Amino acid sequence: MALPLPPGLTPPEIAFICEMELVTIIPRQRLEGLELLGGPLKPLNPPQRAPIPLWLALLLKRQRRANIIPPPWLSPHSLAAILKFETKNSPDAFSPPPRLPPLPSSNTVPLSSPFLPSSTADAAADALPYHWLELGTMLLEAAPDDFEDADEVRKLLRGLREARMAKLRQGVEVLDAGGGFKMNGVGGMELGEARSFITGVVDGLRKIGKSKEEARKERDRENGYSPSQDYDDDDMDMR
Amino acid sequence: MTYYDVDAILTDAQKVPCTFELSVPALGFLEGNMSGDVKQGSKVELPLWLGEMLAISYGAPQSPSLVSLDHPSALSPRVLNALKADARTVDLRALAPHFYNLGARVLELFEEEEMIEVLSDAFKYRAAVIADQAHNPRGALGEGADFLRGLDENERQLFRASHDSAKAVRTWMNDLKK
Repeated sequence: MALPLPPGLTPPEIAFICEMELVTIIPRQRLEGLELLGGPLKPLNPPQRAPIPLWLALLLKRQRRANIIPPPWLSPHSLAAILKFETKNSPDAFSPPPRLPPLPSSNTVPLSSPFLPSSTADAAADALPYHWLELGTMLLEAAPDDFEDADEVRKLLRGLREARMAKLRQGVEVLDAGGGFKMNGVGGMELGEARSFITGVVDGLRKIGKSKEEARKERDRENGYSPSQDYDDDDMDMR
Repeated sequence: MTYYDVDAILTDAQKVPCTFELSVPALGFLEGNMSGDVKQGSKVELPLWLGEMLAISYGAPQSPSLVSLDHPSALSPRVLNALKADARTVDLRALAPHFYNLGARVLELFEEEEMIEVLSDAFKYRAAVIADQAHNPRGALGEGADFLRGLDENERQLFRASHDSAKAVRTWMNDLKK
């Protein structure tokens, strides 16, 4: 392989994507409106709250020009509730992702991760958004003084991460060469961490079950079922 | 599998027991008999690629093939029973460095539903243990050392992959602190 990187995204890349998320800040200084590639930014007027991208919030925080308001799900109370749900109520499934807001009637394009206000001050408190782990870690690192109880949050985040990674690893036992594994609610960083392992297991299982697969295809063909032409072509390329 | 895949080449080089169905002149060096013939019915360990070619090539019309293949000792019923009983304790590396690849190649030649089941279940079960060990910083040195020494080549790659991704996340978290 020419590129020494594993397939998928590396943790710094996932964190970079996460920096597009909007967070709420309380500016301490006035700032003119900015024309950013991601859209215009309204002028910041202290002490009015404003939603801005995470990368800008981290920059302003570092320069002591703003305070970041952590999203509601990053409070010790909600994290403890989610952790309890993960370990007690549903030891097999992941806690569900936040519900999508109702679509405005004029807009038919469904919103997804970076365009949903899932980490601003008015986000849902009872569900972990897609970028929960990386956003939480970065906020705890950059702005621990904006949390009520940073150490408690840090401890709960670590507990959640451990519990969910253990579930991901246990999930391989139900994997099958052709089967699926329900991963609703799994976050970006968790996916990045588990990707190479899970794909490795599926590849190995496919290799072992290849002859069975071929026997099944043969049988299907004899029974008069013929897979479409381009499906066959794909199969030839894989081998 | 590509032409230059080292693991595929090494898999094909593993020995399988073959029984000659015909006497072949001047092939005695295969069983250490430098100048003699191979007698009919003699058992020789041949590399998989050679045994496969001889077994599926057709010779004289009366005898369908030159040699008959047998299961390699790494896939004997004894090993499969051990895998069924407790997959974790079997030292696959001592049996065959490319155990699962060998199994897949043998399954191309023989039709054995049960072997597929046993191998897939063992692979899945061991994969979960591998992931646990890869995330446990003391796993490779402490109690897991014996198990990790018995991993076959596929499983080693799996261990390395999951260890590296866990390490990458840890590195990223530590870099944030700087």
